[in-house]
Amino acid sequence: MQNAKDSFYIALRTRLAAINPERTILLRGTVRPGILVEDAEAPFSQLPNDVFVLRWSGLGVDLNLVSTMVAKQCEIIYQTCGSQSYGGLDRGRSLSKMDEELASILQPFYTAKLDYTATPPTAMLTKVFWDEPGFTPVVTQRDRLSRSATVMVYSYQEQGE
Amino acid sequence: MSDTAPRNPVGAPRMLADALLRSMTGTTALLRVTGTNTETSQSEVGLMATTFYEAVISPAVMRKLRPTWQENGESKWELILSASGVDQQVNTLDLESAQALFAMTLTVTVAGQDYLIESVASNEAFGKVYLYRLLLREAHQQAM
Repeated sequence: MQNAKDSFYIALRTRLAAINPERTILLRGTVRPGILVEDAEAPFSQLPNDVFVLRWSGLGVDLNLVSTMVAKQCEIIYQTCGSQSYGGLDRGRSLSKMDEELASILQPFYTAKLDYTATPPTAMLTKVFWDEPGFTPVVTQRDRLSRSATVMVYSYQEQGE
Repeated sequence: MSDTAPRNPVGAPRMLADALLRSMTGTTALLRVTGTNTETSQSEVGLMATTFYEAVISPAVMRKLRPTWQENGESKWELILSASGVDQQVNTLDLESAQALFAMTLTVTVAGQDYLIESVASNEAFGKVYLYRLLLREAHQQAM
């Protein structure tokens, strides 16, 4: 399943960089697209604003198939306080923009599965696919608006996985 | 008789803070800072161990905060760091500011125990920071 998780993240990251190159984050001294995997970074005392944070949670396995299918739940969390130039008054618009961006980067609902332990990454035989996102209501915390979307990510286990 | 020594009066609070920190316990804090060569997919998915630099900062003082912290039961600590010690490491690592140093810090080690940074505050006098106060939380043991 790790290959599917990695491929899912890299697919979203690549798509985000294409549709909004300005959404970036300075993390570990490097400017990168504004999306990250929470469990692959240093623990956050507070999640960063204006970026997408991938948090992996639920796990399901279907053994009654020719190939074992694994499903993992991914929660994509994002929050914003708006921009400084608008004094935060555009936070609703900023969140709407992030909603649209997330809906865009999740389509199409599949990507090639790659093994990122190899350099360069090697393509595997099957694909990673996911269902439509389920968005939660907006949570307002003073000047911060946050929301999350949940996606089930599926993949078939291949030889050696 | 006036003091004609070529000392910068703005530096006095720093010298005083350093002297106080040294006289209290004068311990050393080790900041584990990530390297900047992380521009690869592998490092973003937790596959490649990034390079680390261990920034030694002294004098420093640790103090335990009141036990109001409830989440998972870890204790909370305050680490008081000498601003001159922090500046020295900022210059060594060629960073823009102390905030950049703390942002790149994964863990803080004091007396063999690892801590995570919760927040950073600073004290200023004459427009110059003379000490940094880091709110820390005990980190869990990591696999070898």
